Amino acid sequence: MAAAREALARPAAVRAGVGLGRFVRRLLFNGVLILVACWALFPIVWMLLGSLQTIQELYGSVTLIPRVPQFGNYVKAWNEGHFSTYIPNSFLYSLSVVAGVLLIASMAGYSLARLEFPGRNAVLFVILAILIVPLPASFIALYKLLVFFGLANTRPGYVLPLIAGGLPISIFILRGFFLRQPKELEDAAVLDGCSAWDVYWRVMLPLAKPGLAAVAIIQFLASWNEYLLALVIFSTNSLMPVQRGLTQFTSSDTPEQHILLAATAMAVLPVLVLYAFAQRSIIQGIMEGAVKG
Amino acid sequence: MVYAMAEVPRRSASWNDVRAALRTDLSAGARRRRARRALNGYLFLLPALVMIGAFTLIPFVQGVALSFQSWDGVGRDTPFVGLSNYARVLNDNIFWASLKNAAAFGLIGFFLGNALSLAMAVAVNTGPRGATFYRIAYYVPGVFSVVVVGLMFQWLYQPTVGILNRTLTAVGLAFLKHNWLAEPATALPSVGATYVWYHWGFGFLLFLAGLQGIPRELYEAASIDGAGAWQRFRYITWPQLTPVTTIVCILTLLAALQIFGTVQVLTNGGPAYYTEVPTLRIYKEGFGSNRFGSAAAMSVVFGAILMALSVAQIWVSRRFGAEVD
Repeated sequence: MAAAREALARPAAVRAGVGLGRFVRRLLFNGVLILVACWALFPIVWMLLGSLQTIQELYGSVTLIPRVPQFGNYVKAWNEGHFSTYIPNSFLYSLSVVAGVLLIASMAGYSLARLEFPGRNAVLFVILAILIVPLPASFIALYKLLVFFGLANTRPGYVLPLIAGGLPISIFILRGFFLRQPKELEDAAVLDGCSAWDVYWRVMLPLAKPGLAAVAIIQFLASWNEYLLALVIFSTNSLMPVQRGLTQFTSSDTPEQHILLAATAMAVLPVLVLYAFAQRSIIQGIMEGAVKG
Repeated sequence: MVYAMAEVPRRSASWNDVRAALRTDLSAGARRRRARRALNGYLFLLPALVMIGAFTLIPFVQGVALSFQSWDGVGRDTPFVGLSNYARVLNDNIFWASLKNAAAFGLIGFFLGNALSLAMAVAVNTGPRGATFYRIAYYVPGVFSVVVVGLMFQWLYQPTVGILNRTLTAVGLAFLKHNWLAEPATALPSVGATYVWYHWGFGFLLFLAGLQGIPRELYEAASIDGAGAWQRFRYITWPQLTPVTTIVCILTLLAALQIFGTVQVLTNGGPAYYTEVPTLRIYKEGFGSNRFGSAAAMSVVFGAILMALSVAQIWVSRRFGAEVD
């Protein structure tokens, strides 16, 4: 039995054969894994390499590694393509959305997890129901609302709907976190005369840090990558976030390919850095969001 | 100690719990505390409810109203026009064709994407050297924006100097070269391939999570009974994965139907309308033709389809949810 378990612990491909057959199988197995990884990564690598080449290198014979890395491409895109505006805008919007969602969703999550009041289940149900309202079904009406409130083509007109859109799933994740915390600390704080706000702010929030981090990362990614709303709302260049800026760049400035690749790379680098540092949270958040959402 | 006794059960606070708690004889102090607690509950919820109400619920209701009105996108004038928007949508062949295209992307993602997701999840789950690297690398495409993905593939598909056509020439398959995004026959498959590349990692992660939840003992027992690799997959992995497979399939379909930015960047629905998708059609109807009323009617039709699928997904997750966790 122990031997059988040990055999099972080894990869199936290793167990599958002996000698040369085993070697070939293993080679094929790992070859496919590596091939798929190359396929997944190639377009990004190709774009990043191209962003450092001259236009002659791009259009001449196939060049993999640029002879001299052309960081000037980035400078040019940054200055001439207004990316010096788009990228700070994107940081401003994404961080505002993260801050707004963290505060509002954690308050709501705490309320739904710990405070008792009539109608709580009804609220939970409504929030769950809202999760299924897709943006493609409501962006026309949202635009109308923003026009009527004078919020179209303004910064709040972009950030507020994004916060609202991020709330339901974040409330669910944070509510789950609050539910899992022991109640003793909270009770002790109440006995010490803490107000409900103090209990939430000083006791519960620190406990929910991992949940807050997961929500923050997912919301940052989602807002950084958001495109449809930005396309609909903004007509002024100086207000656009980077995704909207990219399509504005291609349609109005008709940039040369190497500058466009540099601009694309700039839109991607913050996301790549975030993924490199937080891939565990991102992957976990995606799994949880999908299975429980 | 009155406080502790009067405490409403913590696990869940349904109406019954509240009513039961209220029936017990409470001191005035305890009742006041409870009222304060309830008030706090509402106050903590208030910001979320205001935001969701203002920017999700009201637009949703307004969208339905707008589908019976006419609006040019600028003025305050929105006259009632009855069902004429819906009549227009009914006769808009491009809108219905766009739904068909989206369904085609759904099917491509469904069969190609999900088969790849499942195969690679099974492979990575056997614990090969570098399993962590594969898990991270396979999901990398999923963190990019729709615009970035569109621009990256536009460059790969570029007809004269794009790497795809250049590679075909280099290996002597020049006759397979195409102007991938501009020819009616290749445009949809090219966008579909982009879609698969972009989204398969998502299914991969879910399948991997599902596989890790299958009890090891099942495989041990099967091995002892002499089951081969295929039989183990067919009679253990596949049935055990049913709930995850169902969820992945519906989510794939939902995501494919809503595809927008990537298509806008790659082809803008062209050539002609060979790659038009519903969201793009709605966008063009509103912001291109300034017919926001009929755009809203399209949104209602399209939204109903998407929400029916979502409800199906929730129903499935609820039914199998316990097994998935």
